[in-house]
Amino acid sequence: MNNEPVLLVEDDPADARLIQRAFAKLATAPAMIRLTNGDDVVSYLAGEPPYENRTSYPLPCVILLDIKLPRRSGFEVLQWVRRQPTALNRLPVIMLTSSRHSVDINRAYDLGANSYLTKPESGSQLDELATRFQSYWLGLNESPDLHGGVATIKREK
Amino acid sequence: MLPLSTATFPNPTGLSSEKVFRFLVETVSDYAIFLLDPSGHITSWNIGAERLHGYKREEAIGRHFSIFYIPADLELDKPAIELRRAAAEGHFEEEGWRVRKDGSRFWANVLNTRILDENGTLIGFGKIIRDLTDHRLQDLRYRLLVEGVQDYAIFSMDPNGVVTSWNVGAERIKGYKPQEIIGKNFSTFYTPEDRASNLPKKVLQTAAREGRFAGEGWRVRKDGTYFWSNVVVTALRDEDGTLYGFSKVTRDMTERKRLLDAIQRHSQELELRVQEREETNAELEAFAYSVSHDLRAPLRAITGFAEALREDCAAGLDDLGRDYLNEITNAADRMNVLVKDLLDYGRVSRIDLPLTRVSLSEAVEKATKQLGDEHVGSLTVNVPAGLFVKAHLQILAQVILNLLTNAFKFHFKNAAPEVRVLAEASDGRVRLNVRDNGIGIAPQHQERIWQVFERLHEREEYPGSGIGLAIVKRAVGRMHGSYGVESEVGKGSTFWIELPQAQEPASNEKEGNE
Repeated sequence: MNNEPVLLVEDDPADARLIQRAFAKLATAPAMIRLTNGDDVVSYLAGEPPYENRTSYPLPCVILLDIKLPRRSGFEVLQWVRRQPTALNRLPVIMLTSSRHSVDINRAYDLGANSYLTKPESGSQLDELATRFQSYWLGLNESPDLHGGVATIKREK
Repeated sequence: MLPLSTATFPNPTGLSSEKVFRFLVETVSDYAIFLLDPSGHITSWNIGAERLHGYKREEAIGRHFSIFYIPADLELDKPAIELRRAAAEGHFEEEGWRVRKDGSRFWANVLNTRILDENGTLIGFGKIIRDLTDHRLQDLRYRLLVEGVQDYAIFSMDPNGVVTSWNVGAERIKGYKPQEIIGKNFSTFYTPEDRASNLPKKVLQTAAREGRFAGEGWRVRKDGTYFWSNVVVTALRDEDGTLYGFSKVTRDMTERKRLLDAIQRHSQELELRVQEREETNAELEAFAYSVSHDLRAPLRAITGFAEALREDCAAGLDDLGRDYLNEITNAADRMNVLVKDLLDYGRVSRIDLPLTRVSLSEAVEKATKQLGDEHVGSLTVNVPAGLFVKAHLQILAQVILNLLTNAFKFHFKNAAPEVRVLAEASDGRVRLNVRDNGIGIAPQHQERIWQVFERLHEREEYPGSGIGLAIVKRAVGRMHGSYGVESEVGKGSTFWIELPQAQEPASNEKEGNE
């Protein structure tokens, strides 16, 4: 099981609380950091103040990213991650949003999202999402190395 | 005509001899050629003259040429005028009626040339006369025809656009009498603006260059009123190609123009209104979409925290507390269905629906899978494979699902629902019937049920958002199909949709099509 935290980016306090509660109910709950807007996410990932201490603010193993966010949208955050010249651009990004709009879904994948999940409507569905998320992304899935040098494959721009 | 081949001459130089020339003149039979002395008495007479006028040579020689004139012309002293003008100007040409010996008339083309001696003294006149009676009659018939035309203004102009003839139609349409307009320039008929932009001249230039000018535009009547005219100007050229004038045919199209303008105005208005409506609809739908979207966030919170309360605080809740919690959860669930249906309705209205060849049985299968297991036992599907419609698979499946949900919902409380799905094709349309054994719909309600939020029953009796059939209506409309219901209270209902049948894959997809 992965030791790095999951970064939850969710501005709606009710949604954030319910998601955190669902994850907390898991047998071995992963560490979870919550941010509420796009600018904070960029600062956090870039290690800018007040997030320069990687011991207190470690890089996450995966981001759960909402689309509608204050200041910088989820799409802009995703784009920023994928354009990083460092290994950070490998960071698995999973959209978690209420939009089922095909325009949003396609845009997310175009920008390099690893997965696209919609917010469940009931608590039991949310529990199921937390369980499956953990077993897949924190269990089955092999995480990339996010530290160190320049990525071997240059992305455009 | 000229018996030259029978005549023999000693040598070519002899051709210019006076003898040959005289022979030529005397034997020409289609032209009357004769000489007059300065006073107008006939001094020579050829075969043509004999044939045309009917006088033998001996009868004609010595007579005054005025014997060929009709009384009206004699009264005007025409013979003397002709001689005076020929003597003064060198020649005189005219067309007019002449009289034969037997008193009959013919239309003559007359050319009179003065003859001078070496000193310039007048010694006589040479006359050449041609019978143009046939031409004249044709011309007359044509002229009568043109003059009698009432519905078209037909007139002629000289090369500068000066009017030279004027028919009844022109008088009727433009309001001028012939004597008021003949001799005036046709630019009179144009609007001041057109005259200022030199349009009349351009019209003549175009007609002269291309043979013809055709156009429509406003023209001015004598009384100053405008009329919308359709105009054709044709250049008139003689055999040499020299321009000698123009003919102009004008039709009054004011009434037609007025109608056309009115039609155009109406269609523009209509277009504008449709556009406005489409914009309003699009805005409303976008609004409905985002509203229903944003409504879901607090709903998630209500359901989520109600469940959290039930789970995390079970110890502190008694039966009443749990009952209240159930009410909250039920209300939230209902609202969730409503919002989802609204979103579906908005989506069906908004998204592009590319229509392709869709297998009806595939769409039905897709719908029945979503229906839920509890209904599968009481559903009979009879849709032949190989039935294809022009549709959008996802949307068609949703339409069928809505019809099935509807059919299963409204059953008698004491009887199990039975639903049958049947399909048939005829006349390029495919009809899908969804038949139930339910409660049926009274005739007066059969229209209303297709409207959004329209419900016929208490919520507790039959739950639902009242949007399902509205989605059917909207979606089928967008797929160029039709929908309807046949029902009798207590005897069940048959809801149907009809879609265009899809052709076999187009032949151009195969190789070597013919």
